[in-house]
Amino acid sequence: MKNNLIFISLLFCVCISCKKNNAEYHSITDKIHDKSKNYHETSISSEAYLQELELIKITEGEHTFLIPERKKQIKSFACTECHSKPLSEMQGSSDSKKAHWDIKLMHADTGVMNCTTCHNGNDMDHLTTITGNKVDFNNSYTLCAQCHTSQFEDWKGGAHGKKVEGWAPPRASMTCVNCHNPHNPSFKTRWPSRFNTQKVKERNEELVH
Amino acid sequence: MSNNSKKWFSLNLSNTKTQVHNTSCKCGKSLGKCGDHSEENQGNDKVDTEDHKDGFDQVFEVQMNRRTAFKKLTASLLIGAGAVTTSCSVISDDKSKEKAQIDWEEQFKGNYKLMTDEEKKNTVDRLVRSYQLRTGKTINMTSENAEENVLFGYAFNISKCNGYMDCVNACVEENNQDRNSQMQYIRIHEMEEGKGFKFDEADDNYYHEVPAEGHFYMGTQCFHCDNPPCVDVCPVQATWQEEDGIVVIDYDWCVGCRYCMAACPYDGRRFNWSTPEVPEDEVNKNQHYLGNRMRKKGVMEKCTFCVQRSRKGKNPACVDACPTGARIFGNLLDPNSTIRWVLENKKVFRLKEDLGTEPKFWYFMD
Repeated sequence: MKNNLIFISLLFCVCISCKKNNAEYHSITDKIHDKSKNYHETSISSEAYLQELELIKITEGEHTFLIPERKKQIKSFACTECHSKPLSEMQGSSDSKKAHWDIKLMHADTGVMNCTTCHNGNDMDHLTTITGNKVDFNNSYTLCAQCHTSQFEDWKGGAHGKKVEGWAPPRASMTCVNCHNPHNPSFKTRWPSRFNTQKVKERNEELVH
Repeated sequence: MSNNSKKWFSLNLSNTKTQVHNTSCKCGKSLGKCGDHSEENQGNDKVDTEDHKDGFDQVFEVQMNRRTAFKKLTASLLIGAGAVTTSCSVISDDKSKEKAQIDWEEQFKGNYKLMTDEEKKNTVDRLVRSYQLRTGKTINMTSENAEENVLFGYAFNISKCNGYMDCVNACVEENNQDRNSQMQYIRIHEMEEGKGFKFDEADDNYYHEVPAEGHFYMGTQCFHCDNPPCVDVCPVQATWQEEDGIVVIDYDWCVGCRYCMAACPYDGRRFNWSTPEVPEDEVNKNQHYLGNRMRKKGVMEKCTFCVQRSRKGKNPACVDACPTGARIFGNLLDPNSTIRWVLENKKVFRLKEDLGTEPKFWYFMD
């Protein structure tokens, strides 16, 4: 009888201590898991912010999302507006102007990449894969994905690359060329956009005291 | 008092004036809120005050010692005296009377957490009007509540951050932080590679070309813990976690004791040692009561995941400003959101996980 009483009170204590902090869930992961079971879409949408932007819908694997339209953003597109003849005929002719002098390929090794890795001299309005498949300029990410496979996986899922506007659906993500110049893709070093002079002052004062 | 559904004594300055001069009360409308209206609204409200004391009751039906009582009385008397002088004065104009009326009602309003939507709207209207009277500028303030099925979460890619600090700039501009003390919610820590997370050895105020050789960058801010220690220690319940997971502060309820600052293991909270100053043309006029509205001296503030933006579906300013895409924000409850993909597919970790604070801010690498 006495043992029983002790046992019950012990059980009671254990139950109480488990309910520490009145927390409903043991961890945030449990909370997310449980609460998203009955998830239904919210009224919050980023549709209004995306309205004025030109976006195209793409489906890659199990992910479907919007990316910015590209062709209208390229100043000298379509290429055939200048490149009226095949490249071989334009090269070396006496009246030829030096084209694309401002583009210097700073992407991978010259042994790995040159202009024709992505551009096709016979069909300049389209890009080309390593195996010679035609790729639209709007889908240039397909070219990047040929080598940068892990980045491509992350981009599809949303771990790599910025969202265009808000967090709310529909999802619109930047595509590779919105942040990386395909001819010179790495981010450059630069000075930080801020320096906190007050913090320096406060920390110096702390040292004096 | 408790059978009266009003939560504070109304001075009804404009009302008294109406009776004396017999000018129509509708004119008060053009001047913003008039006492008559608030009375009507609150009369119609059925507020369930049975469970908790609120507003006026919270202040007055409380056990206190003589010293606190005197303190409270003096503060209220000063405001009251100010209000009475302006109301009785023949010289002071309608505007200063309205100002006094607003100050009075603001002084005795309840805790935001306990307000009904109507009361939230009223206090927001008063703050907008007050700002207009003081500066002549119109701000746009909202009191949007948390939406169901939303739980905000954040992920930070430490292999992407280059330490440019564009996020810090955007945050300061968005959230109207004090320019004098150069307050900033975000800290970017420059850490030496191969040494792990040594916050004591890291530099969070560097000024040289970045990214520096052999260093990586890691941002910290308020992590909006799911079990926030700062909320537990607040003696006046001026800070709490909203339904969508954002930990907020009612700047008008905060007494400035800084317990929360001491309790936060992540250095996420900031204190206004002086009156925050923002040049008038730099003030972000899209505000939220719990977010970037102007603070005063002696209150706490911190990152709110830009509540004024995020509840409208936008990204926080830091996420928008980041040029490298190191910051990811979204709804943790939406199984199709990108933040969920990161949590489920990348190797994520959080700071000081063993404390059990359950921050909703994850770090990951490429």
